[in-house]
Amino acid sequence: MKEINELKLPEDVRYSKDHEWAKSNGETIRIGVDDYAQDQLGDIVFVGMPEVGDKFGKDEVFGSVESVKAVADLFMPVGGEVAAINTALEDAPELVNQSPYGVGWMIEIKVDNSSELEELMTKEAYLAVLQGE
Amino acid sequence: MTTESKKTPLYDWHVSQGANMALFGGYSMPLWYPAGVKTEHLNVITHAGIFDTSHMAVVTIKGNGSLNLLQKCISKDLQACIGLKKAPLSSGRSVYGVFLNDNGEVIDDAIVSQAGENDYIVVVNAGMGSMISQLLMDNNETDDVVITDLTDQLGKMDVQGPLSARILSHVIKDADKVFNRFPYFSFKGHFDAGVSCEEPVLLNDGTPVLLSRTGYTGEFGFEIFVEKEHTVKLWELILNAGSSMGLIPCGLAARDSLRAGAGLPLSHQDIGPWPFINNPWTFVLSYNEDQSGFSKKFTGDQALLSQKDADFTYAFAGYDPRKITTEGAEVYLSSDENKSIGKVLTCATDMAVGRHDEKIFSIASLDRPENFKPRGLSCGFIKVNTSLIEGQSLIIKDDRRKIKVVVVSDIRPDRTARRPIKEMLL
Repeated sequence: MKEINELKLPEDVRYSKDHEWAKSNGETIRIGVDDYAQDQLGDIVFVGMPEVGDKFGKDEVFGSVESVKAVADLFMPVGGEVAAINTALEDAPELVNQSPYGVGWMIEIKVDNSSELEELMTKEAYLAVLQGE
Repeated sequence: MTTESKKTPLYDWHVSQGANMALFGGYSMPLWYPAGVKTEHLNVITHAGIFDTSHMAVVTIKGNGSLNLLQKCISKDLQACIGLKKAPLSSGRSVYGVFLNDNGEVIDDAIVSQAGENDYIVVVNAGMGSMISQLLMDNNETDDVVITDLTDQLGKMDVQGPLSARILSHVIKDADKVFNRFPYFSFKGHFDAGVSCEEPVLLNDGTPVLLSRTGYTGEFGFEIFVEKEHTVKLWELILNAGSSMGLIPCGLAARDSLRAGAGLPLSHQDIGPWPFINNPWTFVLSYNEDQSGFSKKFTGDQALLSQKDADFTYAFAGYDPRKITTEGAEVYLSSDENKSIGKVLTCATDMAVGRHDEKIFSIASLDRPENFKPRGLSCGFIKVNTSLIEGQSLIIKDDRRKIKVVVVSDIRPDRTARRPIKEMLL
């Protein structure tokens, strides 16, 4: 398992307490699980996705990731409507382990309230949370 | 109350390699290494993997009366257990059996190996050494039998996968001789330098080991026992010798998914405190020819013969990698999703298999479809209150999801465990 100082935590995304990240793409916000989550879960063998058009509030479950160790719920870091899903994960769920912030992204949403993104944690704040866990 | 977890001699090695550690059977053990469990699982099927299994317990039984004592305590008939002709267990041979209580319920499973006349080595699960030693002492009626619990006094590692013998031939002396005639469930050598063996197995530096052609993955390979002080040295020797042949360290998660796909039970989970009948492993009971009774008397025999409404245990396979958590999970006939017929004992994902036209293939199947890239199948064992036939469609449910599975007689095809060693040295 990675030590906290070995985790890849980019500066240009925001983090939730449930170990998801969110990043603005202009019109939409892209969401995935972070390096801590994928490292904790181990090899991901299946990603359960919502459908485009589904609507979820902040902190609602929008899908699940299944690793050899456990099945974990995916929580919306911000509320909104699903605008796109990463269909590549259907055949290659391991992309989440290999590139959690890149090709392993999960969904894009049209947000209800753009201030919710700002309320998410910066890298520094998130690191402090991880060090407390 | 908190109890400190025990450590195997390889604990520091695992941590230094970035293993994800977890508690199992009282020991802090590697679940997987940075390569990840999927790579580890697949690698054992295509190349080889090495597992730290030093948490398992070894009990030795020596002296006049040892055979009689074991015959009384274990399900297998040691006088009639080898091959189709049911020859007696002999020196250098091993059998798998279970220790039952008077109610015919499982206390633990074990591999019993005969080192010599009235000289046995019994390998049981982590933390079970003292309980099984006590059980043997309680049943012992002579002064000549010496029972020794070697818990935490030995190192043990399993090298599993088709390249295992080729890898080990680089670390043991006279490998050609050692690997000549080495059938499944036999062993050579001894971990105790004080024991003289007809065919000792020595590392290149002279360290003696017990090399056993057994394992818990369904694949060709060996379990190796060595004095504790040599554990790390042997582990590193094997890894160095095997790295060019694709050998990697593997954790307990891969061990669990490999054994589930191979149809092997986990003691205290798939077999446990319920009668040991109506399950896929009753070959360890010493039934007579017409199955009306047993060829010997042993603890629990009468309880098994008089069982009327015991549950049935079956293997199942699903249709994709999705699992359910076994805690609280229920089993339903797909025709009646309202009435639970039982519980899920194990649910794992064998990542080396997939379905094609309803048939299960493995990445090792010679007849696998072209461009076969399986995503894995959920599989495991259920315990239900009704008799089912192979092919029966079922739904298993936890509080999160339900998945469709089917009763099967086997899960991962084309396993290598029983392949002749000659083929595996080419």
